[in-house]
Amino acid sequence: MFQLTELQHDALVELFNQGVGQAASAMSQIVHEEVTMSVPTIEFHTRAEVAQALGSVESRRICAVTQTYQGAFNTDAMLMFPEEKSLEIVRLMVGQALTPEELTEMEQEAMNEIGNIILNSCMSTLANIAGKELHGSLPMYRIGTSEQIFGASGGQWNGMVLTLKIDFNIEKHHINGYVAFLLDLTALQDLQSYLDQYLSGLMS
Amino acid sequence: MTKTILVVDDSRVSRLLSRQFILESHPDWTIVEAVTGEDAVDKLATVIPDMILLDVNMPGMGGIAAVAKIREISTTVPICLLTANVQEATREKAHSMGVQFAEKPITQARIDNILSTLENA
Repeated sequence: MFQLTELQHDALVELFNQGVGQAASAMSQIVHEEVTMSVPTIEFHTRAEVAQALGSVESRRICAVTQTYQGAFNTDAMLMFPEEKSLEIVRLMVGQALTPEELTEMEQEAMNEIGNIILNSCMSTLANIAGKELHGSLPMYRIGTSEQIFGASGGQWNGMVLTLKIDFNIEKHHINGYVAFLLDLTALQDLQSYLDQYLSGLMS
Repeated sequence: MTKTILVVDDSRVSRLLSRQFILESHPDWTIVEAVTGEDAVDKLATVIPDMILLDVNMPGMGGIAAVAKIREISTTVPICLLTANVQEATREKAHSMGVQFAEKPITQARIDNILSTLENA
């Protein structure tokens, strides 16, 4: 069974905290509102449990933007909102520049761009801290229940998956969503080595 | 003096925001849009822009590859990579290619800052 040491666990939370801070700043610039984000929670699940673990309060439909990152470690990064809030988020982004019809037409593209900015902001911070490069795929947009979303994403993995979940809140507009990162066993070994390099850099 | 800006981004929303912010400060400037690196290179056959704003992560030819192609056509047009990919590695590539680098999200302040070098040119 894969396990992180206490120090590696702390380092992982700290690294993602810094990434999340940058992501919150980016999101705040997009929606022109204060955005608060939680401390990342790290858990291990089987692939079959991921939808339930990450989407337990989301029996409703959600929209998700997913990007796959490869490099120092590989991960599926996901940004998720309740489906009924996505149009409101896009409206906050583009202001009054579009008619309601144009807004609806552009909703998917706009959410892709928002996901691209927020996920890249977080992942770039992780890459910069470690002095490594991460290559991100183009963003992919999906709508469905959490089971449909997680079933579609990374369905090739059958073993244990590490999940990092960060809740965020655009308080003024009562919009809650979350960012999640999924790493399979191979990626976890790379992640462990990435964390060890980060820790040895701190201690040298 | 009026200028022409070529905005290259696969995201329609990003192109819209760039256009909106450029015209907010420079209502008489001309904006030409391209949706990929290939499209940007094609546009240069008919347009001589004063600056190119270039996304990095695009389908087909991305921004980094596009810089090399554009430099075969024009060695002098100012280029700014405008990207969500804020990794040091990307900044260093921009620096080594002699192009500007700016972070997304696109804001009025960022666009004004990028264009400030052109205003007195």
